[in-house]
Amino acid sequence: MQPIDQFCRAAEAAGTILFKCKDSAEAAAYIAEQAAGDLFLPVSSSCTRAKLSDQLLAAGLNLLPGERARVATAAAGVTSACFAIADTGTLVLESTPEDVRLASTLPPRHFVLLDRGKVVADGLAAVEPLRRMHQQQPRNYVAYITGPSRTADIERVLTIGVHGPKQLFVLLLDNWSNDLLEM
Amino acid sequence: MKERSKAYQKRIDQALATPKLQQALHQFGDAYLASREKAFAGLDFEILRREIGEMKDDVRINHARYLQQFIANAEAAGATVYQAATAEDANRYIADLAVKQGVKLTVKSKSMASEETHLNKALEAANIKPLETDLGEWILQLSGQRPSHMVMPAIHMFKEEVADLFGKETGQKEPADIAHLVEVARGQLRQGYLDAEMGISGANLAIAETGGLALVTNEGNARLTTTLPKTHVALIGIDKLVPTLEDAAKVIRVLPKNATGQALTSYVTWIRGAVPCADGDKDLHIVLLDNGRSRLAADENCCETSRCIRCGACANVCPVYQSVGGHVFGHIYIGAVGIILTAFFHGLDNAAEIVRACIGCRSCVAICPANIDLEGIILSLRETIADKEGIGGGKSLVFKKVMRNRKLFHGLLRAASKLQKPVTRGERTIRHLPLFFSPLTEWRTLPAIADKPLRDVWPKQSLEKPRQRVALFGGCANDFLYPELGTDLVEVMNHLNVAVDYPLEQNCCGVPALYSGDKETAVELAKQNITALLADNPDAVLTTCPTCTMALQRDFVENLKDDPEWHAKAERLAAITVDASGYIVHQLEALAQFKDLPLAQKVTYHDSCHLKRGAGVWREPRQLIETLGHELVEMVHADRCCGFGGSYSLTSHPEIAKQILGDKLQDIENSGADCVAMDCPGCMMQLRGGLEKHESRVQVAHTIELLASRLRLKKSAHLS
Repeated sequence: MQPIDQFCRAAEAAGTILFKCKDSAEAAAYIAEQAAGDLFLPVSSSCTRAKLSDQLLAAGLNLLPGERARVATAAAGVTSACFAIADTGTLVLESTPEDVRLASTLPPRHFVLLDRGKVVADGLAAVEPLRRMHQQQPRNYVAYITGPSRTADIERVLTIGVHGPKQLFVLLLDNWSNDLLEM
Repeated sequence: MKERSKAYQKRIDQALATPKLQQALHQFGDAYLASREKAFAGLDFEILRREIGEMKDDVRINHARYLQQFIANAEAAGATVYQAATAEDANRYIADLAVKQGVKLTVKSKSMASEETHLNKALEAANIKPLETDLGEWILQLSGQRPSHMVMPAIHMFKEEVADLFGKETGQKEPADIAHLVEVARGQLRQGYLDAEMGISGANLAIAETGGLALVTNEGNARLTTTLPKTHVALIGIDKLVPTLEDAAKVIRVLPKNATGQALTSYVTWIRGAVPCADGDKDLHIVLLDNGRSRLAADENCCETSRCIRCGACANVCPVYQSVGGHVFGHIYIGAVGIILTAFFHGLDNAAEIVRACIGCRSCVAICPANIDLEGIILSLRETIADKEGIGGGKSLVFKKVMRNRKLFHGLLRAASKLQKPVTRGERTIRHLPLFFSPLTEWRTLPAIADKPLRDVWPKQSLEKPRQRVALFGGCANDFLYPELGTDLVEVMNHLNVAVDYPLEQNCCGVPALYSGDKETAVELAKQNITALLADNPDAVLTTCPTCTMALQRDFVENLKDDPEWHAKAERLAAITVDASGYIVHQLEALAQFKDLPLAQKVTYHDSCHLKRGAGVWREPRQLIETLGHELVEMVHADRCCGFGGSYSLTSHPEIAKQILGDKLQDIENSGADCVAMDCPGCMMQLRGGLEKHESRVQVAHTIELLASRLRLKKSAHLS
């Protein structure tokens, strides 16, 4: 099985919603369909390169500024992912800029754009790029995200969406980014 | 009885009177095992846990170096690191910091270390409001309780109770619907993250290589807690240190799988240093908590515990935990590892009752992801506490004055065999005991002491050229309760052309003394038995009781390690000691000799704790039973303890033992078997006693008895 296929299987098992897009315009259209409200899109090099914000605006969406109180009212956050981990269906987000953390924690929906080629086999294979992140910057906040927020604290019944996003969408793209460290 | 013991007994009674609790913990235990198996599919757990054990041992031995490396890297990344020697020290630092910064509200994500130090009380005393945001912890904060599980803190509570608690917060009636209640928590806690000036978290790992922390969580509250407030305080035990990111990845690979059966939690958060926060940088304080951890790491008998990664699995599989929950079987930390951590973090006094509550079944040892011999360590702690508090006058007298003197001990057993006549009425089992002994036979019958012990009825053997000469170590039960098991063994062995000797100087294996904390008597008995069993230089020493097997294979060696001459003898005995089923299957390769039984039964097999998880034998008896031609039907939880545990079920915790037995009897009945087989006289005593009381039609047999009856059947067929 290809790493991307293994990722998809594990991510779906963890409750992630997958969508294959032929380009970022199609991704923007999908987000417009699912977002159900205003968006927060932090700055990232892959999104800037693809002019994603223009495409989202063109799709009729409203983009909020990066103020905490405003982000707390957003219907969805949109970020890219550096890479993914196949065996657990995990996304890796370099979240040192606070905006990335706000986008991925506060709104009830989180959309993540992922290049289908950027998938490593498992948590141990992820250490090499993780270490490079630590070498590249002196301070880091790196997030591994696997499915939506969940709890089983009441009677051990699995319940989705407690404090973090209730829905996690992964938009799979080709030619989006080829650098494991690029957000 | 001490006040402490009275209060403990009361907690046991209350827990046992809450069947909903047992039902919840049993259901969780079953579901956990199923998802755990799926999560580990394709991985070799034994290799993974050995790796973690070795890595954590390296950290323990070179702790100062890794700690220094961690602190230097964390400080270089802008963190302030504080080393707290005690709980009070940690609390004082955090409360002072909060006061200095004018903090009114702190949001907290889950931290067992803060439960350990009672941080919330210290914050409240300084007029700072701590708001727990982990759903389970918030429920407990609202109800004024402490966690009953390390990973699922409110596992003992029900949705109706949660609905009532939440209703008091919202001022309206909340329906007891779990999805709704989770939504209420989300809404109620959301503003807290935005308002709080300080976020307090725990951490699962501190990585020396980077000076960073890793948090393994599901709800997302730890991400909010560590992101929104200006100040982040991470309270973390110094035993969470690992050398490198690879080591951290290895722990994270195992932790969620072993904790809850998840492949990975929703979030793993790696934080190194003072990251951006609002318009500036975060004020990150890392409080490294010792509070007994250095003492634990330096303790010769208990240091392995420093490997613990706090997955909580030792509770998930524990039959005692499943019977009474974490509010009885724990202090702050619960389950097997909780007993040990309590002794070092909260003092021996707080561990004194729960250290005796372990039944010794070793299911925790089999599931521990750090390869810690939890049961062995609990035994050594029991000894420490017995040295301090004594083991009770009567018990002490029996061990020291009676058991060490074999002739006196056996003489008393013979006398008891005569004296018991009025209560046994000449039968083999005791159904009712008079007076204050009566609770002992309320829920199971007890075997009577045999008229003649095995040593008196030992059969004469006339093998011309035996292929091996072996000695039988009978143990007290085989000798004085079930002598027929010994004669059956001789019959089976003679059939296989093996001569069996019964060295008469053998005595009790010493486990009852050892498990009660009297090591001195255990050492004396070990020496007596080594001398007796090695005297004629047998090819092997056979056992019919797996607890005795563990004593001969493990405890004698361990307890005599400081005496080179005796230690060498103990190792020689350990090397030739083998359980009877294993001996037949492996040494003699004699499975085929028991083929095809005309009158086959449905047989289910009960794994005795010390046979499966001590000697590693569980396939062999099943092979023998199937070779005989019986239909082997597996019961569920075949390797779950039967609740015997020697004095555990007789004197120390009979109520819990009864509960565990009840579970086992149900599993046996549900299997539909005619007979339940096992390889342990203790389990026979417990299961036969329970099944007889329930007037069950299911028979109880030792595997050796099944083999012997097969041979007798064959002989009688020949004669007719």
